[in-house]
Amino acid sequence: MKIPFSWLKEHVQLTKAPKDIADDLVRLGHEVESIALPQAGVLGVRIGQILDMKPHPDADKLKLLKLDLGEAEPLAIVCGASNMKQGDKVPVATVGTNLPNGLTIKQGKIRGEVSFGMCCSVAELGLAEDADGLLILPTDAPVGMEVGAYLELEEAVLDLDITPNRGDCMSARGLARDLAADGNLPLIAPDEEPADVSDSVAVPSVQVTASNDCPLYMARRIEGVAVSDAPDWIKARLLAAGQRSINGVVDIINYTMLDLGQPMHAFDADKLTGGLHVRATVEGESFLALDGREITLHAGNIVIADDKAVVALAGIMGSEHTGVTETTTNIVLESAAFRAALISTTRRTHGLVSESSMRFERGVDPEMIAVAMNQATLLILELFGGSASEVITIGDADTLVKHKVVNTSIARIESRLGLTIPESADDVLNRMGFVVTRKEGLLEVEVPSHRHDVSLAEDISEEYARVIGFDAIPEVLPSLATIKPHAVDTAMSSATAAGFVQVINYAFISPAEQRLFTAADDKDLVLQNPISDAMSVMRRSVWPGLLNTAKHNMNRQQAGVMLVEQGRVYEKFDTEKNKETNVIAWLMTGQIQADAWYAKANKADFFDLKGAVEAWLENRGLVARFMAEENKLGLQAGQCAKIFVGKAVVGFIGKVDTDIASNFDLASDVFVAEINLDVLNAGKKAKFQPIPEFPSVERDLVFLFDKKHSSEAILQEVRKAGGQTLVEAGIFDRYIGKGVPEGFVSLGIRFVLQDAKRTLTQDDSDAAMKSIIKAMADKFAAELRG
Amino acid sequence: MSEIDSLKSELRVLEEQALASFTQATDLLALQALRVQYLGKKGALTNVLKGVGRLSAEERPVIGQFVNQVKDALTAALDAAEATLSVAEKAKRIEAERLDITLAGRKANKGAIHPVQQGLNEMCAIFAQMGFEIAEGPEVEDEFHNFDALNIPQEHPARAMHDTFFFHADEAQQAKLLRTHTSPVQIRTMKGCVDSGGQPPLAVVAPGRVYRCDYDVTHSPMFHQVEVFKVDKDVSMAHLKGVLKHFLSTYFEKDLPIRLRPHYFPFTEPSAEVDVGCVFCAGKGCRICKGSGWLEVLGSGMIHPNVLKAVGIDSSVYSGFAFGLGVERLVMLKHGIPDLRLFFENDVRFLRRMGA
Repeated sequence: MKIPFSWLKEHVQLTKAPKDIADDLVRLGHEVESIALPQAGVLGVRIGQILDMKPHPDADKLKLLKLDLGEAEPLAIVCGASNMKQGDKVPVATVGTNLPNGLTIKQGKIRGEVSFGMCCSVAELGLAEDADGLLILPTDAPVGMEVGAYLELEEAVLDLDITPNRGDCMSARGLARDLAADGNLPLIAPDEEPADVSDSVAVPSVQVTASNDCPLYMARRIEGVAVSDAPDWIKARLLAAGQRSINGVVDIINYTMLDLGQPMHAFDADKLTGGLHVRATVEGESFLALDGREITLHAGNIVIADDKAVVALAGIMGSEHTGVTETTTNIVLESAAFRAALISTTRRTHGLVSESSMRFERGVDPEMIAVAMNQATLLILELFGGSASEVITIGDADTLVKHKVVNTSIARIESRLGLTIPESADDVLNRMGFVVTRKEGLLEVEVPSHRHDVSLAEDISEEYARVIGFDAIPEVLPSLATIKPHAVDTAMSSATAAGFVQVINYAFISPAEQRLFTAADDKDLVLQNPISDAMSVMRRSVWPGLLNTAKHNMNRQQAGVMLVEQGRVYEKFDTEKNKETNVIAWLMTGQIQADAWYAKANKADFFDLKGAVEAWLENRGLVARFMAEENKLGLQAGQCAKIFVGKAVVGFIGKVDTDIASNFDLASDVFVAEINLDVLNAGKKAKFQPIPEFPSVERDLVFLFDKKHSSEAILQEVRKAGGQTLVEAGIFDRYIGKGVPEGFVSLGIRFVLQDAKRTLTQDDSDAAMKSIIKAMADKFAAELRG
Repeated sequence: MSEIDSLKSELRVLEEQALASFTQATDLLALQALRVQYLGKKGALTNVLKGVGRLSAEERPVIGQFVNQVKDALTAALDAAEATLSVAEKAKRIEAERLDITLAGRKANKGAIHPVQQGLNEMCAIFAQMGFEIAEGPEVEDEFHNFDALNIPQEHPARAMHDTFFFHADEAQQAKLLRTHTSPVQIRTMKGCVDSGGQPPLAVVAPGRVYRCDYDVTHSPMFHQVEVFKVDKDVSMAHLKGVLKHFLSTYFEKDLPIRLRPHYFPFTEPSAEVDVGCVFCAGKGCRICKGSGWLEVLGSGMIHPNVLKAVGIDSSVYSGFAFGLGVERLVMLKHGIPDLRLFFENDVRFLRRMGA
């Protein structure tokens, strides 16, 4: 919310500079986003009168102007606007002026005609978002004067972010009330002289059937007004507050709202059919809003209707057809209270937002309903003439403004804040409208009607904290709670130590990406309002994200990438629960070893990633088994495995289907793995084992195997046959080619034998080898090679 | 010439020959061969001594002594030559093994922990040291935990400010959404404690991903928060300030001032925005802090009694503080990272540079 400094000063005699007032507001809980000084932005823009206006000889849309800026010679300017005439006074940006939109005015030639400046619109002065045509200034505007000074832009405009609990501060008066109390300054009372009432004007007929949602409704009729533009001082204030000028009456209504915080509405009485009825809607009623949109209302919305149609969505927006225009002569003015929660729900259901709804849903000061009605009437009568009826009031104003009382104790507040509450703080609260009574440590606080946000002892503690200042609260470290030991998760550090770079991808991916590795079923979690289709479904695999990251990096001159990601995958589980599984996933592609003086470049293959996954599991004290997997969606059969730890499947590893890889512009083979962290034991702690005392013996044997046997199956049999002293067995050589018959493979197996209690003899190892050779022959018909 | 003199002269010739040959030897292997040739069991010296048998008993010790002198002389000469040669050979080997030590080392690929993860790890470690227990909660949440229990009823204006992602709801399923903050973990932890018969004290730190339907230069639809709360008897706002001060100074590795400004959050009362003295200009005012000397880092407050009520904790007995901090923002401030988008672009050059 924007508020010019002078407006605040109309309600409270502020003596401090705007910057200091801004600091006070911040301390009171009103965030000041900026202090704008509009004049600084328009320095050099002066009032000029158009002495002469001729069409440009070479351009239809341009005009040649001669302007009097109070200097000896008039100024020649080429202008593209069309809303001015000879004799008008307009803002003229002279050469050297820097306009708020970044434009610097220079002397120039436009289609052969010299121009010494620019005539400005409100938009070019930075006072509004957009504008059509030049700002035409009043005829009495002094020629040559700085426009900033003339429009009273010399003062600061505060841009405030009022929190949703403080609807009462969305007005000059509301803010002034806080500042007055805080600075111990008198709050200037609003104009209470009642507007003249004419008995000849009939009170409008109003019926309220939704009194729960509309506890107070005031209306009056004003006849015979001549609507013209609002005076400049009102326009200037609206402009500074960021509001457009519409017409005199609407401007007065908006001005009153910004001034007192009470949103009002004005109907063109001649466009209403019969009396006003404040009622709940039935499903499907339609409403033509002020912005021209046709809205279909739901049952239970509150509207103001006449005998024919809905004329206003209560507290939110009036209808297109019944608003006040320049031709209106008879008005019905409304000032009312509507239930905040209802306004909030209704405006959200229909995607509407207005200055009025913003205030109603945050809560307005009920004491201002009548005051605003009076003030707006006074202004209308004074500026546009006419005569006003009595006010019809439906509802009980007294109940609405009744003060709540909170009972608590000083000790309770002090213990919550960690601060002693001095009695002087009571005075500030009293000035804010509270009535504070202390008695033997007990505290009774009467809450003013505009403070909808205060009803509990805790709310009172906040008021005290605000007025004393949060800075006064000391910094105290609490005593330690009982510490539950926190196990350090090494999942990621162990992966990155192996050379992988951790990435973090969005948890939502595109439906097409989802289908790359997960077959269609009903378990996708699909967002109703995604940022885009590419981010619309919760991932069930981390791989699509990793592929995108690989693509991003390979497109940026990386020869290869090794990526790892830890995060959740998501799926629907049953009607109440959804399943979120913690996984870690790897991706490897391209060169993992660059050409170096000591090594040849090397591209990632299946066993590079398998080794990394095995090592990662070993770091957690786990030994994995890999079993060929033929049917894993998105991975290539023959280079794909299920990963087992014990009997549990913990994940998959494999080569990404080459069609998928090339869709991500990945030319080299891509290998991925994923392990479900929730089914792994949270990392077994290493158990002590004594270092073997007796030496080990190493033996090698080379066999010829049929290719169909997997090394996993062979080593399993080796381990069985090798007996207890066989502590390690591994394939150290694998050969296919000359000397090996077609369909066979030569495997060299290295055995390590060791006994914890004695040194093994030649006979011991011979016996073990013999048993292994026999087993290989029996199980695989494998021959020992020479 | 007597037998003894003839033997002696034979020995002298042998000695001269031997000594001359020692100087000719160019490597240790040759020297070893010479040692065997002259001093070995079947060597030249032993051979000469075969003639001793012809000598008288008186002459034998004389020649024995003489032989020993020759043997000692040869041994000494051999040892000396060996020493010289081995020094030379070692020097030669060292020369041969000389490296260009400026060549690149054989390096393993450099991995890196994502800067956001590092931030999470550091933050959780600080709170863990202060006695806060780590807890996690689901990211796919319901309205009760994300809003209602946090004192943000359906029609509350604050609810609209959360830019919530919703899921298509099945029939019979209550509306599901992506949590907009880590505060639902507060509810789950407190409620879980109460439902299982427990009561405070509770001191919890809850790290995790959160989601807002907002995507531009300064907003990411997914980001990370750390929620911290403590509930016990007599927990006050002074404790909140103490914990914040300790945390922020430890995290930024500087003794930084903190400032609380009154604010509004539905789930805390009083509520405060927390500023920390600008880490770039030490409070003097700079571009990053827009000249104010302060950086807004997080929202905090005393847990609202309605929140405690929603989880079954008696607010007349217990009180608590809570705050939620944006991980990305703090990491950006700590490391001078200018753009939020860098975190999710995952360019390995950035990640390797920032990563640990």
